[in-house]
Amino acid sequence: MDPQATAAGVLGPASVLDEAALIRAAQKGDQDAFERLVQAYDRNVLRLAMNLVRSPEDASDIYQEAFLRVFRNLGNFRFDCSFHTWLYRIVTNLCLDHLRKRKVRKEEASTVETAEGERDRTAILTEPGIEGNPERQLLSRQTGSRIRQVLEELTPRERTVFELRHYQGLRLRAIGEVLGTSEEAAKNCLFRATQKMRAALGDLV
Amino acid sequence: MTCDRIREQLPLFLYGELTFDEEERLEGHFNECAACRQALEREKAIHAAVDSHSTEPPPALVVECRSRLRDRIAAETARPGWSWSRRLGQLLWPAAGAAWMRPAGAVALIAIGFFGARLSSVPVSLRLSESTPDPLVASRVRYLEPDRQGRIRIGLEETRRREVSGSVEESRIRHLLMAAARDPNDPGLRVESVDLLRSESATAEVRRALLQALQSDPNAGVRLKALEGIRRFAGQPEVRSALAQVLLSDDNPGVRTQVVELLVEQNSREMAGTFQELLRKEDNDYIRFRSQRALQAMKASLDTF
Repeated sequence: MDPQATAAGVLGPASVLDEAALIRAAQKGDQDAFERLVQAYDRNVLRLAMNLVRSPEDASDIYQEAFLRVFRNLGNFRFDCSFHTWLYRIVTNLCLDHLRKRKVRKEEASTVETAEGERDRTAILTEPGIEGNPERQLLSRQTGSRIRQVLEELTPRERTVFELRHYQGLRLRAIGEVLGTSEEAAKNCLFRATQKMRAALGDLV
Repeated sequence: MTCDRIREQLPLFLYGELTFDEEERLEGHFNECAACRQALEREKAIHAAVDSHSTEPPPALVVECRSRLRDRIAAETARPGWSWSRRLGQLLWPAAGAAWMRPAGAVALIAIGFFGARLSSVPVSLRLSESTPDPLVASRVRYLEPDRQGRIRIGLEETRRREVSGSVEESRIRHLLMAAARDPNDPGLRVESVDLLRSESATAEVRRALLQALQSDPNAGVRLKALEGIRRFAGQPEVRSALAQVLLSDDNPGVRTQVVELLVEQNSREMAGTFQELLRKEDNDYIRFRSQRALQAMKASLDTF
């Protein structure tokens, strides 16, 4: 996915001007404008949170907290950066905090027991269907399991950069802005994450 | 450049994070080094595997999140000390407004008829709780006529909301979604409608609606969603022709990137003219690069004649 599309197309309204008008209207208390802003971005916010924290319940809480923070602080938004960058900064900070706390608590929050054994909580919601071919199903399940394991083992920052680049299509420069770091540092995180992914999936693909 | 250095750069190459010159260097190396070509194919396979295991939030969860957020914001604005302007905003925003309950998932819930559009497009709107307790009725003051006795006649325009529900597989729901996909006032509604219609893209009328959205919707997000819906029909001549037109005319590089990838995948010599024309006018380095590679793979000239 092209980063331009992510920044102004897939996530947001057609043009930056439209979005700026929506933000200004929302700043003046127009809740319909605020709602449109939410709807333009919220699926990606939820997907980002789900992929990072691997729990629909936690992702839902992060969604609530992120948009409430936006609602409370929109009046202070001065267009110093894009709305998208500002929103993603809020979401990724919440996710990173969550991941760090979870690491400290050493919780196993991302798996759940099913009839087929322990499965990732998000995977059982959304695993792509591979119909008809049991071998492919098995391979796909093994691959999916391996991918989730690698994502789980990445550091919070590596996982966030990988998610933002691979699934959300942000450019490394934009990722640097979101995370308050340099493009080079984001590149290094991505590099480490892809190395780990390659090592884990090497024999399956 | 050594093979080790080339392989280090493979992820950045696939993510399009290298400069044009760096990509050229890698491409040149791939032409000469079978081992690195093989490493590239493996890296691509890993990308594809990771792609196919993306987690999409279930539509029901999106709806639930929106509903919870609406409730929390309502609670927030009801707290003492909330700014007057925001309180006013809350008053002007019907609490039972259907906006948060947009169609999602296999079951669509569609609100129609608010002034032929939505309350948001009306400059002044309000709910008159005394005279119209029904939350499904929205009122707008159209005119005022004060008389000499100090009384005022107020003309109201009232619109009633109606809800229908059903599966996207049902023709009537599909037609409502196709109408919503053309609503000029609400790009968010169009994105969601197109998103829901994608699952029915095997239906000719839906595919036509998606093609129309891809070719003419002013919102790039809607166009990208429409593109996802017709992706698997890219081999059909009329779809390919529409894609070629989009590739040459869409002003959004994100859309053009997706389309060029799709057309390259088709590997059809019929597209040579389109890629040649694209090279003549395209500014985006990555899209130019993909077109060049496609033409080279077809052993076609890079120039138009």
